[in-house]
Amino acid sequence: MGELTDLWVGTQNWIFETFVGPVIFWLGQMAWYEPAYSAVEFFMLGVVQIAVIALGMRFFERRWPLEKTGNDRLIGVDRVYTVLNKLGILPLAIFVITYPISQEIELLMRSWGLAPPRLERLLPWLGDNVLASFLVYFVLYDFAAYWLHRAQHAIPWWWALHSLHHSQRRMTVWSDDRNHVLDDFLITLALVLFSQMVGVQPGEYVSILMVGRLVESWSHANVDMSFGKIGERLLVGPRFHRLHHALANPDERHIHDHNFAPVFPIWDILFGTAIYDGKNRPTGVDDPVIDADNGRGWVVQQVTVFGRFLKAITPRFLRAPFQPGLRPPAE
Amino acid sequence: MKRLAIAATTLLAVIGSARADSVLVLNSEEASYSILSRAGRTELQRLPVGREPHHLIPTPDGKEVLIGSTATNELLSLDSKTGERRRVVSNIIDPYQLGFSGDGKWFVTVAYRLDHVDIFHADGFKLAGRIFIDGLPSHMAFDAESKTVFVSLQQSGRLAAFDLATQTLKWNVPVGNTPAGVLMLPDNKRVLVALTGEDGVVVVDPSDGKVTGRLQTGKGAHNFWPKGDGRHWFLSNRVEGTVSMVDTQDMRVAGTIKVAGGPDCMDITADGKELWVTQRFLRRVAVVDLEQMKVVASIPVGKSPHGVFMLKSGPAAPASPLSPAGGPLRAVSTGSGTTR
Repeated sequence: MGELTDLWVGTQNWIFETFVGPVIFWLGQMAWYEPAYSAVEFFMLGVVQIAVIALGMRFFERRWPLEKTGNDRLIGVDRVYTVLNKLGILPLAIFVITYPISQEIELLMRSWGLAPPRLERLLPWLGDNVLASFLVYFVLYDFAAYWLHRAQHAIPWWWALHSLHHSQRRMTVWSDDRNHVLDDFLITLALVLFSQMVGVQPGEYVSILMVGRLVESWSHANVDMSFGKIGERLLVGPRFHRLHHALANPDERHIHDHNFAPVFPIWDILFGTAIYDGKNRPTGVDDPVIDADNGRGWVVQQVTVFGRFLKAITPRFLRAPFQPGLRPPAE
Repeated sequence: MKRLAIAATTLLAVIGSARADSVLVLNSEEASYSILSRAGRTELQRLPVGREPHHLIPTPDGKEVLIGSTATNELLSLDSKTGERRRVVSNIIDPYQLGFSGDGKWFVTVAYRLDHVDIFHADGFKLAGRIFIDGLPSHMAFDAESKTVFVSLQQSGRLAAFDLATQTLKWNVPVGNTPAGVLMLPDNKRVLVALTGEDGVVVVDPSDGKVTGRLQTGKGAHNFWPKGDGRHWFLSNRVEGTVSMVDTQDMRVAGTIKVAGGPDCMDITADGKELWVTQRFLRRVAVVDLEQMKVVASIPVGKSPHGVFMLKSGPAAPASPLSPAGGPLRAVSTGSGTTR
C-alpha cells in the first residue's frame, strides 16, 4: 500500500514540478500553488477512472449486455462528456467560478465566528477510524446528493437542464457525465457548500468524489447484472438506476421519479421512492423536444439545452401557450 | 505465548523510548497529526486534530505546543514532551499563523483567508485588538523589544508593521512578489522577507520598511528556521526544491540542500545534527544530515504535511533572537479566547 501511495504521489509530484508548478511561478500566481497541485491529482484520478470504465466496465457491457441492439452512434457524445469531465477540463472551469463563491460564503460564516463543525466533535471515536469516518461523510454527502437530484426533477428550470442527462436512449457506462455545464455547476456548488458545512476534509472530498463517480458510472452500465437481493439495497447498481432513466409509458407516467439515489439506495427506501420490480425498460424521455438531444454533438446539446433553460425561467405570461420540454416528469 | 509477551514488551519499550524523542507533524489536508520516531525514522501514531491544521508553536514556558486549527477557529494544545492532548482554546478565528512576542506578553495570530491580524494578551488569550488588512496576511516576526510585529501580505506583495501596545499600523510597504517567511535578525536592524513569487529574500529596514538589500537563494523562497548559532538560518525554496543555508552576517548562501516535494516548514534537533523538513507534495518529512548536508531519510506521513515540531526539544525561547517569533509562525484569530 505504501509503495502504491509513493508511486501515485511521486507521479503527481513529477507532473506538477515538471509542467504545472513552473507555469504558476512564471505567471506570478503562487497563491494558486497548492490548489494547482490538487488539480493534478484530480486529473490523474480522471485518467484512472477512464481506464476503469474503458477497460473494466466496458468488458462487462460487451460480455453481458442488457440491451443487445440499439444505435451505438448515440454513445459517442457521452464519451466526449466523460473525457471533458474526468480529465478536469469542465471541472476546472466550474472550480474557477464556484471556488470564490464557496470561499466567500465560508469566510463570511467564519468571520461571524461560525466555524463549520466536525462530526468527530460529537463522535470522538470517528476520529480514530479512517474508514468509518470516510463512510459516514460519504453517506452524508450522498444524502445531500439524493435531495439535490430530486430538486433537479421537481423544479421546471432545473429539469430543463437535467433532462439532457435523461434524454439518452442508449444508456451506457459513459452516460454518467452527460450533463449541461450549468447543471454541473449548480450541483458542484451545492455539494461543496454542503461538504464545508458538515466538515468534509479536502482529502476526504476527493476520495468521496472518486468512489462515488465510479459507482455512478457503473450504475449507468448496459449490463444484465445485479448485486443480488440484499446487495441491490445496499448499493445502487445498473438495474436499480436504469429504472430511473426509464422511458415513461401510459401506465408509468412518473417512472423517472423513482430510484434517485446516487450511491446508497437507502434514501429511496426511506423516502418512498424506491422500486425493485426487476423489469427491464427502454431509456429516454417521452418528449420530442428533449428526445431531439439524441444525435446532436456536445456543442449543439449545450446550446439547445441552455435555450430550454432560458424558456423555463421566462415568466409564464411571456411564453407561448404550449412549451414542450419544460414539464418535469412528475407533474 | 511467552515469546509473544516478550515481543510485545519489546515493541512497547521501543515505542516508549521513541516517544521520548519524537517529532510532531501536522497533516493539513487530513485533519490529523503524526508522531514520528526520530531514531526509528518511522510514524508511530496518527491522531485526529481539528480541521486544516497548518502551523504550531510552543508556549513561552515550553510546556505546551499550540496547533492552529484554522477551520474550526481553535487552538489545540498538546503536551510538548509527550504529544498528549491538554486543552482547546476556542474563539481564535482562523489561526493560520501563530506567534508569541519575545517577552511572552503578546500572542499574535494572522487570519490568512480572513485578512486580519489579531493581537492577544498572551496571558489568557484575551483579544487586545484586531486589525483588518487586505492581501492575505501570512507570516510574522517580532522585534527584539517586543514592541512591533511584522506581517507579510502574500497577495498584495507587501510587508506591514504593527505596534503591539496600541494595535495600530506603523507602516505597510511593497517588498516583492508573494512575500512569505519573515525573520528579524539578532541585530534588530534587519528584517528578512522570503519572496515565494521570486527567487530569494529582501532585506528590510524595520524602522520604515525600506528595502535595503537582496539575496538570491532559489525559486519559491518561503520560510526560515534558525540553525542555532545566531548567524545561519535555513530557508526553504518551495519551487526550486531546495533548502538554503543563509549566512546572515555576510549575507550569502553558505550551502544548499536538495529537498524534493515542495519543502516548507522545518525544525532542528536539539543536538543540531538534523534538520527535519516537511515535503508538502510528497506526503513525507525529510531528514537532513547537517554534517553531510543531504537528505538521509524521508518518512511517509499524512496528506500535505505542514508544521513540524521536535517534541521534548526543551523550553521554547520565543524571546530568543535565534528564533523567528519564537518558532513557526502563522495563524489568525478573533475574539477573546476561552479555554476548555
